[in-house]
Amino acid sequence: MRSIGVVVILAVAIALSISMLIARDAVNTKINSVRASTGTTITVTPKGFFGFSGGGTPLTTTEVNGLLNLKNVTAVQESLSEELSSNDTSLTSPTPAGSLGQRFGGSNPGGSSASAPTFTIAIRLIGTNSPGNALVGGANGGGTEKLTSGASFSPTSDSDVALVGQTLATKNKLKVGSTFTAFGKTITVVGIYNSGSTFANSDVLMPLATVQTLASASGQVTNATVVVNNISNVSSVTKAVTAALGSKADVTSTEATVASELAPLNSIKTISTYTLFGAIIGAAIILLLSMLMIVRERRREVGVLKALGAPNRSIIGQFIAESTTFTVLGSVVGFIVGILLSSPITSALVSATSNSSSATPAFTGGGFVRAGGGGFRGGGSGFTPPPGGQFARTGDFHFGGVSNTLTTLHTSVGSSTLIFAFVIALVIAALGSSVAVATIVRIRPAEVLRSE
Amino acid sequence: MLKVENLNKTFHTRAGDIHAVQNVTFSADNGEMVAIVGASGSGKSTLLALLGLLDAPDQGSIDLDGVELANLDAGGRTKYRSHQVGFVFQQFNLIPNLSARENVLLPLEYARWPKADRVRRADEMLALVGLTGEKSERRPTRLSGGEQQRVAIARAFAAKPQLILADEPTGSLDKSTGQKIVEILRSAASTEGATVLVVTHDEKIAQQADRRLEIDDGVLSEVA
Ligand SMILES: Nc1ncnc2c1ncn2[C@@H]1O[C@H](COP(=O)(O)OP(=O)(O)OP(=O)(O)O)[C@@H](O)[C@H]1O
Ligand SMILES: [Mg+2]
Repeated sequence: MRSIGVVVILAVAIALSISMLIARDAVNTKINSVRASTGTTITVTPKGFFGFSGGGTPLTTTEVNGLLNLKNVTAVQESLSEELSSNDTSLTSPTPAGSLGQRFGGSNPGGSSASAPTFTIAIRLIGTNSPGNALVGGANGGGTEKLTSGASFSPTSDSDVALVGQTLATKNKLKVGSTFTAFGKTITVVGIYNSGSTFANSDVLMPLATVQTLASASGQVTNATVVVNNISNVSSVTKAVTAALGSKADVTSTEATVASELAPLNSIKTISTYTLFGAIIGAAIILLLSMLMIVRERRREVGVLKALGAPNRSIIGQFIAESTTFTVLGSVVGFIVGILLSSPITSALVSATSNSSSATPAFTGGGFVRAGGGGFRGGGSGFTPPPGGQFARTGDFHFGGVSNTLTTLHTSVGSSTLIFAFVIALVIAALGSSVAVATIVRIRPAEVLRSE
Repeated sequence: MLKVENLNKTFHTRAGDIHAVQNVTFSADNGEMVAIVGASGSGKSTLLALLGLLDAPDQGSIDLDGVELANLDAGGRTKYRSHQVGFVFQQFNLIPNLSARENVLLPLEYARWPKADRVRRADEMLALVGLTGEKSERRPTRLSGGEQQRVAIARAFAAKPQLILADEPTGSLDKSTGQKIVEILRSAASTEGATVLVVTHDEKIAQQADRRLEIDDGVLSEVA
């Protein structure tokens, strides 16, 4: 009866350890994969600069190039964003006037319809020294651009050439070799790209030097992306960049965003680590005390066996066999229960920890800039999107991000978990056995003649 | 033949030294049943512990069939005990999770009897004490006190020891059952040719023994 109790308590402790171990593993794997997927870039924008809605003093090429000398920096991608209004270019924006306004302002009575038709949308022109990655990163809000036709320009080019997004190309019937005008110059389309986002596919990419000349913004840069050699160096380089540029620039690494996204995961990791060790220590203490109790209770039996001529090792062997049976039974039951419980326990931990922190990352990094840019480009009465709409959108983006991060936690039992559990069970059994051995050896056979 | 000479055992306690066994000298023949009587605390159990090699004497000699046992170390005492000594206790002290037969098999295992002979010997001993058939499969809790003590006697004699030590074997039994148990002990002693020492408070039981020894404050004397 008591043995069953010991096995059950042991099983509970081991089940708890196992599910904590699995939860910890799952969270750890997720943390590592999130870390690995965040990349190694740091975004530098002039202070107070959002997208290309203006504000702040542009950075200079000299300042930004200086960042290349920092330790662990492998490249600095620079870009200068300008707007091409209908006065500056022959191109027409593919974004229907007021369409975003309607989207954002839809709930605003009488919001968009009056002014929208007469408003002309500006096209974003990005000068870049890193064609291929110009749209990547928070401020420019796109993916890697892939050429669907034509060829790219050289990073140091100052020719009047352009890569145009496929949405813009379709709208203006542009092909490789077509020309258009911008700031009074004739520009030749050398390639058409797809970056995976309609906004970014409505942009024009030109060599940095060309845009600096055209826009009379010689030596100016509105966005720089610092590429770091290793994820682990991102935070030190972020500090170095901040120190180098001082108050002129906003320096954001994806790491900051990721850190706040990872915060709930990290706290789950901490909780599960503490619970894990608590459960292991608990299991060990339970077995120790039970063995002590069992041997004490059977003191007389041990004395009788000794009086019958049983050698110590035979009695010890019998008790070790019993404690091993407890441990093995408890471990097997605990292991199975632990594996079954690991998934619900992990999600319970996740929902308990993520509620409190999911609001924080909603205002950080790319999401905000992205939404701001979108709002501007929507034009019309959507120029100033109702805060509710904007935040909802930003919120969705990030809430989606966080919940996605957490719900895609996969619990799985790795071989290291198995080995760890096996070692724990062994250590606990050894502890329980040594307590039994110490007590058994100390029982004097003559005790058996004493009446109780 | 058991020859005990000048045996001494002193317990050193905080309250002072207790001379539990003092200069005890006596002998007993094989097949003989000797009663040991004495007041509570007079040293009866201590003497049995020394003779049964459960404890080491401070001084003196224990000679069993020409072998000196008083100077054995713990390992030697354990080994000799398994071959040469059988115990019967007041509280029966059967192993609770073993059947009657398995209890009788234990000393045969410790004395390293050939496996093939063990069950036959156990059943022979159970038959000798009058426990047959289905009862030998029962656990101790399903046997009466008298039956448990029979199993204990069978267990004590099983490995053919020279010396059987019984510490108040009837103390937990009613009078008539106790009588029966002493008769069984006595007949087993002569059948097996072992020396039996019985500690008892019961005058009637003491009278059934071949001889009587009395112990008073650790000092043993023969009663005529
Ligand atoms: N391990 C021990 N440590 C200290 N004193 C002991 C020990 N064993 C026995 N004694 C003491 O030795 C004396 C003899 O004890 P023993 O148990 O031999 O008496 P007994 O004749 O068997 O008594 P009873 O009839 O009550 O069983 C007692 O005073 C007892 O307290
Ligand atoms: Mg006694």
